[in-house]
Amino acid sequence: MLNDLQAAFFLVYKYITRGNKGTLILTIIVTTLAFVQINIISGILSGAVNLIWVQTKSNYVANIVVQPGKDQWGKKEEYIKQVSLLKRKIDAIPGVEGCSSRYTTGAIIEYDPDKTGRDIRTISWSVKSINPTEEVRISDLHNFMVAGEYLDESDRDQIMMGREITGGFGASLEVQSLKGAKVGDEVTVFYHNGVVRKYTIKGIYATVFPLADMTVFVTQKEMESVLGIRERASEILIKTDEAYPEEYYIQELRKAGVELQDIRPWQDFIGLVLGIAQSFDIIKRIILFIGLIVAGVTIFIVIFIATTSRRKQIGIMKAIGMKESIIIMSYMLLALFYATVGIGVGITIIEFIVRPYFLAHPLSFPMGKVSLFIVKSEFVTSIISLIIVSLIAGLIPSWRVARENIIRAIWG
Amino acid sequence: MIKVENLKKTYEGHVPVHALKGVSFEIPQGQFVSIMGPSGSGKSTLLHQLALLDTPSSGQILLDNIDISKLPDNKRADFRLKYLGYVFQEYALISELNAIENTFLPLMLLGTRRKEYLRASTELMLKVGLGERLHHFISQLSGGEQQRVAIARALVNKSKILFADEPCANLDTENKGIVLRLLRQLCDQLGQTILMVTHEPEQREFTDRVIWLRDGLIEKDELIKEDTRDHALHDSYRTLKSAPQL
Repeated sequence: MLNDLQAAFFLVYKYITRGNKGTLILTIIVTTLAFVQINIISGILSGAVNLIWVQTKSNYVANIVVQPGKDQWGKKEEYIKQVSLLKRKIDAIPGVEGCSSRYTTGAIIEYDPDKTGRDIRTISWSVKSINPTEEVRISDLHNFMVAGEYLDESDRDQIMMGREITGGFGASLEVQSLKGAKVGDEVTVFYHNGVVRKYTIKGIYATVFPLADMTVFVTQKEMESVLGIRERASEILIKTDEAYPEEYYIQELRKAGVELQDIRPWQDFIGLVLGIAQSFDIIKRIILFIGLIVAGVTIFIVIFIATTSRRKQIGIMKAIGMKESIIIMSYMLLALFYATVGIGVGITIIEFIVRPYFLAHPLSFPMGKVSLFIVKSEFVTSIISLIIVSLIAGLIPSWRVARENIIRAIWG
Repeated sequence: MIKVENLKKTYEGHVPVHALKGVSFEIPQGQFVSIMGPSGSGKSTLLHQLALLDTPSSGQILLDNIDISKLPDNKRADFRLKYLGYVFQEYALISELNAIENTFLPLMLLGTRRKEYLRASTELMLKVGLGERLHHFISQLSGGEQQRVAIARALVNKSKILFADEPCANLDTENKGIVLRLLRQLCDQLGQTILMVTHEPEQREFTDRVIWLRDGLIEKDELIKEDTRDHALHDSYRTLKSAPQL
C-alpha cells in the first residue's frame, strides 16, 4: 500500500511539475474563486444575520424574557408579581450578567409641533418603562443616543424615543412616526387606563435596527405612578454571558424558582426577522451547492480531459503492471492538489484582502452596517465539502478510464 | 520455459471472431522467437494472451509449469510487473517522465529502494546506449531512442519473458538495426527469452525461431540457422553509424 501511495505521489508530482501549467493555474483559479465566492456570500449573509442577532440581544429583548404566567384559572396574568425577589433569584444564577424589569402599556402619543393644534401628529403605540440603572446592564441603548440624553432614574416628566417614533435621523418607517419630533419638544401621552401625561423628549436613540428603534421609554417610577402599582413588571429582560444556549439558562431559571412565569428566548420575539434569517440560510446552502458544483465540475472536466487524453498512456501503465488503484489514486491526488491549493489561496485572499476590505467598508443593510462574518463551522464545511467534491471529481473520470480493458485503451 | 496448450481466443459479438483456434507450442528459456503471419492471422492476439493483457477463451499458458492464464485480474497486474516485460509498436512511454524515470517506474512499483532502482535503471540505460540521455524528456528523444528506453523499462524488473509487438514498425532502417541487434544481444548475452511479433520477413533472421500463424493456427514452426542470423547481424552493423553494445 505504501509503495502504491509512493508511486501515486510520484506520478502526481510529475503531472503537476511537467504537465500543462496553463491548465494547472486556470483550474486553481476557478477552485479559488468558487471557494472565495462561497465564503464571501455566506459571510455577508451570516454578517447580516449575526447583526440581527446582536441587535436583538443588545438593544431589543436581551437573551431571555420572563413574562407573566397564568393564574389558577388558566388566564394569563397582567403583571409579574414580587419582582424584586424574582430579580434577586435571577441575578444569583451563574452566567446571568444582569436583569431588568419593564412595564409595558398601550398609549396614544400626541405631538403638536407648533402648539397651535393645526398639525397634531398622533401615533398609537406601546410605552415601556425602564430602570436606567438596571437597563444599562442588559441593553446598549444608552450607547446609541443620537440626540439628547439617556433617562435618569429620577426623571418623571421626561420621555425617550427611538428614531422610528420621532421620525428623522434616517428613520425608515416615517409614515408611522411623529414626523420630526425633536429633543426638548413636548408630547402628550394618553395611557390606556385614562391617565394623561405631558413629557419632554429627553433623548432620541437610533440603533438602526427598526424593531429596537420603535420603542418609547419612561422611567419605572413614572410608569408605576401612571399605573398605580409597584413591585410588578410586564417583563423581565435577562442578559446572559452566552456560555451556553438560552435553553440552558431557561432550565436554570426554572430550577432557581422562576416557575410560574412564561420564559422565552430572544428568538421568539423576532419571528419575521427569523424568517429572513432562515431564508438567508437557504440562500447560503444554495450558494455553497452552486460553488461546489462549479469547482467540482471544473476539476471533473480537467481530470476527464487528462484521463481521456492519456487513455493510451494509462493502458500502457497497466500493461507494465501498474495497479488500477495507483492510477485512480494519482488522479484523485491531483484533484486534491487543485482543491487544496485553491482553498489555500482562497483563505489567503479572504483573510488578507476580503475581510480587511469589508471591515473598512461594511455594507449598509436596513439593520445596520454589515461586515463579513465567517462562521467557523460553515467555513470548515466549505473546506471539507470542496475536498470531498474534488476527490469525487477526480475519482469518477479516472476510475472510468482505469477500469478500461488494456487492449482497448492502448489500441482503441 | 513457456508452454502453450491448445490456446483459443474468440471475440464475442454479433459475428464471433475466432482469432486463435487452438495454438500449442513450447519456448525454452533464452530463445528469441518471432511470430509472423499475414494480417488477421492472430499474432498480436497470441502476444496479448501470453503477456496477460487479455484473457484467453480456453487453453493453458504455463510459465515454469504454472498456469498463468487463469490468474484473477488483481494478480495479473502483479504478475506482469514482476515477471513480464512489454515493448509496444509505438513508443509507449509516459510523456511527463524523463528517460530514466520511465525506466525505473516498474522497480518503483515493486517497492525497490530509490538508490537501488536508480542504479539498476542507469545501468540498463547505459547498456541500451542511452547513458547520455538519462534526463532527457521523451519528446527530446528520437524514435529509436524511445524504443530503447521502452526496452530498458521492459527489462529493468529482470523479466522472465520480453514481449515485443512490432517494435521496429515505426523506425527507420538504422534504428531498426539498433533495436533488433539489441534484442539479439539480450538473448545471447543475458539469456533473455523474447517473443516478437513482426510482419517484416527480414527481421525473422535476427531470431532463433519463427512461428508462422495463419487463420488462428500455427502454419509452420521454423528454426533459423545460425549462419543466417550471423549474416543478418553483420548486415545490420553495416547500416549503423553508432550502435550500443551490451
